[in-house]
Amino acid sequence: MQKKWADRALLAVFILMAVLLYRSTAGYPGIAQSTSAKYVRFLAVFIGVLCLAQLGFGLVRDHGRDILVLTGNRRRFLALLVGLGLFAIAFEPLGFYLSGAIFIPAIGWILGYRRPLVLGLTTAGVLGFVYAVFVQLLSVRLPGIEIF
Amino acid sequence: MFKASIFTSVALALGLASAPAALAGEYPDQPVTIIVPSKAGGSTDRTARLFTELAEKNYEGFEFVIQNVPGSGGQKGFEAIARADADGYTIGLNFTPQLVAHIVSGRAQYTLDSFHVMGNVAQDPGIVVVPADSPIKTMADLAAASGLTVAVNGIGSDDFLAAKQFESIAGVTFNLLPTKGSTEQKAAILGGHVDAAFMNLSQMIKQHKAGDARIIAMLTEERDANLPDMPTALEQGYDVQMRATRGFVAPAGIPDEIQSQLDTMLAEIMASDEFKANAAKGNIFLLPMSGPDYLAYLTDLQAQTQAVYDQAPW
Amino acid sequence: MEYLAIVFSPWALLTIFIGAFAGVAIGGMPGLTATMAVGLLVPFTYTMDPAMGLMLLGGIYAGAMYGGSIPAILLNTPGTPAAVATAIEGYPMSRAGRAPLALKTSVIASFAGGTFSVFILLLFAPFLARQALAFGPAETFLLALMGLAGIISIADENSSLLKALIAGVLGMIIAIIGTDDMSGSLRYTMGLVELYDGIDFMPALIGLFSMIQMLELAGQKSHEIDTSALEKEQKGEKLPRGIGKYMGLGAGTGTLIGILPGEGATIAAFISYNLSKRISKTKELFGKGNPEGIAAAEAGNNGCVGGSLVPTITLGIPGNSVAAALMGAFIIHGMIPGPDLFTEYADRTYPFIISLFVANGVFLAVGLFFAPYLARIALVPPAIMVPVVAAFAVLGSYALNNSVFDIYLMIAFALGGLVLKKLGYSLEALILGLILGPIAEGGFSQGMIIGKGSPWIFFDSNIAKVMWVIILALLVPPLYSYWKHVHKAGKAAG
Repeated sequence: MQKKWADRALLAVFILMAVLLYRSTAGYPGIAQSTSAKYVRFLAVFIGVLCLAQLGFGLVRDHGRDILVLTGNRRRFLALLVGLGLFAIAFEPLGFYLSGAIFIPAIGWILGYRRPLVLGLTTAGVLGFVYAVFVQLLSVRLPGIEIF
Repeated sequence: MFKASIFTSVALALGLASAPAALAGEYPDQPVTIIVPSKAGGSTDRTARLFTELAEKNYEGFEFVIQNVPGSGGQKGFEAIARADADGYTIGLNFTPQLVAHIVSGRAQYTLDSFHVMGNVAQDPGIVVVPADSPIKTMADLAAASGLTVAVNGIGSDDFLAAKQFESIAGVTFNLLPTKGSTEQKAAILGGHVDAAFMNLSQMIKQHKAGDARIIAMLTEERDANLPDMPTALEQGYDVQMRATRGFVAPAGIPDEIQSQLDTMLAEIMASDEFKANAAKGNIFLLPMSGPDYLAYLTDLQAQTQAVYDQAPW
Repeated sequence: MEYLAIVFSPWALLTIFIGAFAGVAIGGMPGLTATMAVGLLVPFTYTMDPAMGLMLLGGIYAGAMYGGSIPAILLNTPGTPAAVATAIEGYPMSRAGRAPLALKTSVIASFAGGTFSVFILLLFAPFLARQALAFGPAETFLLALMGLAGIISIADENSSLLKALIAGVLGMIIAIIGTDDMSGSLRYTMGLVELYDGIDFMPALIGLFSMIQMLELAGQKSHEIDTSALEKEQKGEKLPRGIGKYMGLGAGTGTLIGILPGEGATIAAFISYNLSKRISKTKELFGKGNPEGIAAAEAGNNGCVGGSLVPTITLGIPGNSVAAALMGAFIIHGMIPGPDLFTEYADRTYPFIISLFVANGVFLAVGLFFAPYLARIALVPPAIMVPVVAAFAVLGSYALNNSVFDIYLMIAFALGGLVLKKLGYSLEALILGLILGPIAEGGFSQGMIIGKGSPWIFFDSNIAKVMWVIILALLVPPLYSYWKHVHKAGKAAG
């Protein structure tokens, strides 16, 4: 997608959000009408006006043909994103240490690092450091394995 | 190959570590988790730690782990206690009136029946406080003045409920200022930005004694030992009573023999002199109540809160 | 003198050293904050000697405030929100191979700000705390506005002012999700209990800075990072002349703002940064790696350490969340804040304050000693850096509230933020709006109630009037120069 169109779509979404936000303040109960509702209405109007102005400027001035590029390497980018998602899902059932012990070397490998010893040592170092700081120093319980 | 072996060794190390320390046996064979529905270092957290300190010292085999689950006025923590396995390895603290306020406002997924109430430990009496140079000296003055700005610690808190009670008894309407936390209330009173505040004793007792602010009434049935000269609101003709309480609850359905072991331990620790001394040092006001008494208190409080909510929901 | 003897006993010195060192490490890790560390360690000090326990926590506080600047400079991943302004100047310096200078500036500025504020704490605490009480909700609202004026200083001639403002207001709108404090009703929470308390700014900070940085590193076309600039780094580059002025500015601003209620350090860093840009003779270098900006921002946020303790120990009104956690430590030892702390418990309070000087000295030494080694972190291959930082980002998001929801939130902020960033919206403005929005709303709503519905309360007191003058002084010149710039560009185009 071209950058300018992505920007325009985003601004349109913001303007729609501003309108909905403004209308929703009518439902604020009691005292909130004379306090928070005023604040929220101000924000809604302000962002609406700003977005309209930006949209207008963009339509008049922006004739660029730049394409919106989120990343230079889609495979690695998506791998990290999916990895993060899996890490989050596994966080409670598997616990931090086990999922971390998989996540760090796996992502390192996918990103093209090919020295297993360094990867292993790094992983062990990170997990050890977290154990020392969180469990020993701050006595936070992280989910997962009991003995930690 | 090498990578795989590192994986295995790491997994193995972690796996071995995870071998359950718990093989079937006498209760307790693993640490008991205490869920504290507020941040570490707060008064509820300190109440829990006062208990665990003595429980670990005096009761062989018991080990406790405190897990702080703060957020949403304690609701996250209360829900976590209600949902926990009823095996005696998870208990928690509650505090009022938030425990019942969440039920009344319809936000809680738990009810009082979700818990076995073990007993109350600590309290913090409600007070009414005004700035040091305020012309308001008694509750009658407070009722006579009009258009007062009065700070309460958030909607649905003990302060809020007490202010609402006073409004309906005295037939006044305050310009209520809800704050985020008692710190803002304290700043508003000391800086003279509000006319009065409904607060808790521990938050203002030092300022009152130093003459920086003036407490005008205790919201308890009898005078408080920490401030024996201070008349109650009841003595001044206004039946407004409010206190924050902090007690222990467990998820309902723990086997009786385990539950009674825990209940007895709590009662014995609360009765010990060492516990009382530690609490005094930590600025925690004790109010021991047995499980059934505390349950009756909670049920009663829920009905009162419901009455306020029906008049002015939040 | 006896207080000095307490502080300079070997055990006390070791305690302070451990505290400050751990503080630097904690502040330097994305997701670990001083608030969390102090809060969790308070119960631990229960069994310690009171003075020792307080020294440990004080050391952590001082160290963590500085530590946040290290990853901000080296990796563009500020460890605390107060270091966001530092990242704006520090990261470009790192990329140009000037990381050692940036780190040196940051540690010396932090030391200057921290030490100055502790002096003020030691000498004038009771007096200043009284003055600060005059500062009510209406003034708090104005203070938040002053901080938000920083959005305009983030937008440069080369980035769009409109887009920075949109991002800032968007942050403020995201911040209204949660419970409405005025009525107790829920706003836009979509039935999620996790959102009742609103969106915490730490997952947002981690997502918007640390995680985006890692996503961008992972998505780089070439994985051969360009180290030429780093290798020919200017060894022993001297601090620029005249930088002391900016440190002084930051130290004064930070201490003053620290004394006032609210999340002082972030506001202080941005206002100091903004002011330094106004008085600088090299305005055009701001945003491209100007050590003057680092000096002001770091002196500003460390100035809050001493400042925030002023109302905490004299009145029991903590200036920010770390001070609030620290107050818990005073209370468990029976030291209820108030005049007693300076009489009955003077043998603990004064050593605690004096120990903060030592803590500042410790992080100064640690920072100067390690700066050359730390600078080499930028040479670590991205394939190692990315998974490690990502793992810390996940852990940090979780650990704040023990909530997996916050991890998803962090990832969502990273993705959404990346799109915004690519379209030219300022993420610094977004996070500033997110942090200051609730402070502005609270001040506004409470002010309206106290003023019984009249907005005149925001202009009523003398403090308010002075603050309006400062706000205008911060807004008008940059808006004027921006207008001139646009006007000229319009003419050139037309």
